[in-house]
Amino acid sequence: MSRTTSYPQTMPPTRPEVASEGPKQSNARWIELSTSADHKDIGRILMVSAFGALFLAALELLLVRVQLAVPSNVFLEGVTFDRLLSVYGTTGIFLVALPLLIGLLYYVVPLQIGSRTTALPRIGQIGLWLFLLGGVVLYGSFLFTPPEAGINPLPPFSDSTFNPNNGVDVWITSTGMVVLGLLFITIDLLATLHNLRAPGMAWRRAPLFTWAGAIVGWLFTVIAPIFLAAITMLMLDRIYGGAFFAGDDGGSPILWQHFSYIFFTGVYMAIAVGFLAAIGEIVQTFTGRLLPRHAFIWSLVAIAVIGTLAWTQNMLTVPLDSGWKYFAMLMSYALIVPFGVIFYNLISTVSASDFNMTAPLRYAMGALSLASIGLAAEVAQSTIAVATRLNHTYDAWAATHFALIGFVVFGGFAAVSYWYPKITGVSINEDRARKSFGLMFVGTLIAILPLFAAGVEGQVTDSYRYFSGEGFDTWNLIASIGTLILFVGVVLSIGNFLMSRSEEPKATPDPYRADSLEWLALSPPPPHNFDVLPDVRSARPMRDIREAVTRRDEENAEAEGAAQPVA
Amino acid sequence: MLVAFALNASPAMALSLNPDAGSPGIEDANTLHWILFILLVVAIVVVNLAILRAVRPRTRAVTPKKGRRISQTKLVAGLGVFAIALFIVSTVFSDKSREIPVSTETVAGQTEGQPLVIKASGQQWLWRFNYPNHAFSYRRLIVPAGVTVRLDLTSTDVVHGWNVPELTGQVQAIPGRTTPVYFRADEPAVYHSHSSVLSGQGYDTMEIEVEVVEPSEYESRIEELRAQIQEAQDKVEAEFQASREKSDEAKKQYEKTKNQINQDDIESAESE
Repeated sequence: MSRTTSYPQTMPPTRPEVASEGPKQSNARWIELSTSADHKDIGRILMVSAFGALFLAALELLLVRVQLAVPSNVFLEGVTFDRLLSVYGTTGIFLVALPLLIGLLYYVVPLQIGSRTTALPRIGQIGLWLFLLGGVVLYGSFLFTPPEAGINPLPPFSDSTFNPNNGVDVWITSTGMVVLGLLFITIDLLATLHNLRAPGMAWRRAPLFTWAGAIVGWLFTVIAPIFLAAITMLMLDRIYGGAFFAGDDGGSPILWQHFSYIFFTGVYMAIAVGFLAAIGEIVQTFTGRLLPRHAFIWSLVAIAVIGTLAWTQNMLTVPLDSGWKYFAMLMSYALIVPFGVIFYNLISTVSASDFNMTAPLRYAMGALSLASIGLAAEVAQSTIAVATRLNHTYDAWAATHFALIGFVVFGGFAAVSYWYPKITGVSINEDRARKSFGLMFVGTLIAILPLFAAGVEGQVTDSYRYFSGEGFDTWNLIASIGTLILFVGVVLSIGNFLMSRSEEPKATPDPYRADSLEWLALSPPPPHNFDVLPDVRSARPMRDIREAVTRRDEENAEAEGAAQPVA
Repeated sequence: MLVAFALNASPAMALSLNPDAGSPGIEDANTLHWILFILLVVAIVVVNLAILRAVRPRTRAVTPKKGRRISQTKLVAGLGVFAIALFIVSTVFSDKSREIPVSTETVAGQTEGQPLVIKASGQQWLWRFNYPNHAFSYRRLIVPAGVTVRLDLTSTDVVHGWNVPELTGQVQAIPGRTTPVYFRADEPAVYHSHSSVLSGQGYDTMEIEVEVVEPSEYESRIEELRAQIQEAQDKVEAEFQASREKSDEAKKQYEKTKNQINQDDIESAESE
């Protein structure tokens, strides 16, 4: 492909309306889709799977909450509860949060940097298939033994002595394939980012979401191999009698906690970085104002690095040297700075601007609101003397859920509804989006706020029942009712994405008059993305193109006007 | 949302924000939790009010004032100072909460000037406590009031979560490793709690009960416990002895019968 073309400084070569549709498809749609190595097809399959998995996760959470609605409930057996809870957590992180984030990045970032393809398309394709296989293994296990040792199966509990059935093997296999697959996609994304940027697309001109792609990509490339190594060790322990995590055989159960929490903390931070950057793009587009670029990007970098270094924040109840605990506390508190900078800039920019409230911005502000509660509660979870009483209680559960539901579900809906016209070629139904957002937001608050109270009362997580008379009853009942509302809201929001496709009018390539290059391509983009590669001259290439087009039209009109003889 | 926060701050809720302090140090942790709780609730309310203000319906055009946005440097500095101050406060209180004074009283089985050592061992799905006089108990730990206790935590199978908010907070019991946990129960009481790390099918019933009694009562209680265990042991021993004697007798009878049969066989063979 040609990258040496250079164009006159202000004159973009063409408008997207004249772009072609690409080569005609010779095979059926599903064959085209399943054999495609196009980043847009792969990204879309990842996002669709993530929303399918979000529905399953919401359903599992609902079942779990029904069991916990009243004390000593007999709705589910203990083992069924453990399985649902383990599959729920695994789905939430590995099949919803990560694929939604990486799928979005993989779809949007190559478009944003003005690339016609990705650098290693076949690597991305094998990544997609590994991911899908991992998901199938996790849900296929419902036919025999689903995992039952929790989202983070701690050895020796997850060792073959105490979990002889193949639930933990299923967990290892499916998370292994999912993480390996997403790692491949991430590698392709990084290679693309570093090699295939359009002429003039320097890093200093790259959009926020592209920066998030680089940060998330490098972070995931660091933490994913650690996780893969850890589950390989766990597999060796289970199947071949290894002793990596065996307490009495020279191994250490604490080692697993380090490995797994490096990964989970890193994923948490990657999610925060990715969706905050998406929210940043949304805010910039709808308010028409720029966020302070350096402060925003450096804050994202700081979240990724400092946040992941704080992994022992999860291990404040583990017997470690107290130096590590104070280090974790320092790192967690240090996160107040980058998160504070980002929240301040986003909120103050929206506050001082004029805009029409639309679905993406509404979801984005909901995400900030919920995440602010979760992140603030995480501060208490990171404080040594307080964490030793709140860890493993519903207080910790509520903090993590506020932050993750805020970023992944609300941030995810914000980002997908923002790029929805680009991805599908139709606009989204605003009315349904507003109603389902309201349900989801209220549902989340009712579902999780009471659990803070249950947590400080001392209710521990992961137990399939509790007994009355300990002050948990009311809070759990309220939370269960809220979860039902949340579930309905999530189903309606997903339904809106499905129904808008057939009902709504076609979207123009640049419906928001946004700044970044993905809006130059058609909606949906043709397989080769751009007919002509733009020449990037600033951090707002689409604005330059629009201005140049206006100028060209004016000049043409003038020229025409001059040519007309005066009557 | 604000209603929920108001609920959180109402006196009925406030009473249960923290567990009752049953040991020195817990009071400091409670104070720290109060400080954090107030700061964080204020932070959450401020951020969410700002969000509500930001998304207010636009009835007239917004004309931003110039230079209203504070500089990023000042923002970073302000947040940084806040984070460092919070870290110092938390460190001070966390350190204080870990200081357990050595007790003046001494009970049987305790070395002078040293804490009373009790071994706590988690197993699926019970806690076992070994006292210095070789008595032991399951599920319920008996400790003397006013005496510093060192609980040596370990586990025989999987990771278990030791969790008594009023005395020690949570500490994980790791198999193959012993972790000392110090506390000094102030006055007689019974604390009821639940293990905090998922450990399998019986996890929901894996409870912990700590009964704090007067030192003299503690001595008599564990002595009684030892006596009961001894009694049970003696009983088992006696039964074993009895059954062995019984089986010895049966063996003799068997030998005798066998010899008799052999004798009979020989005799009958001879007679033929």
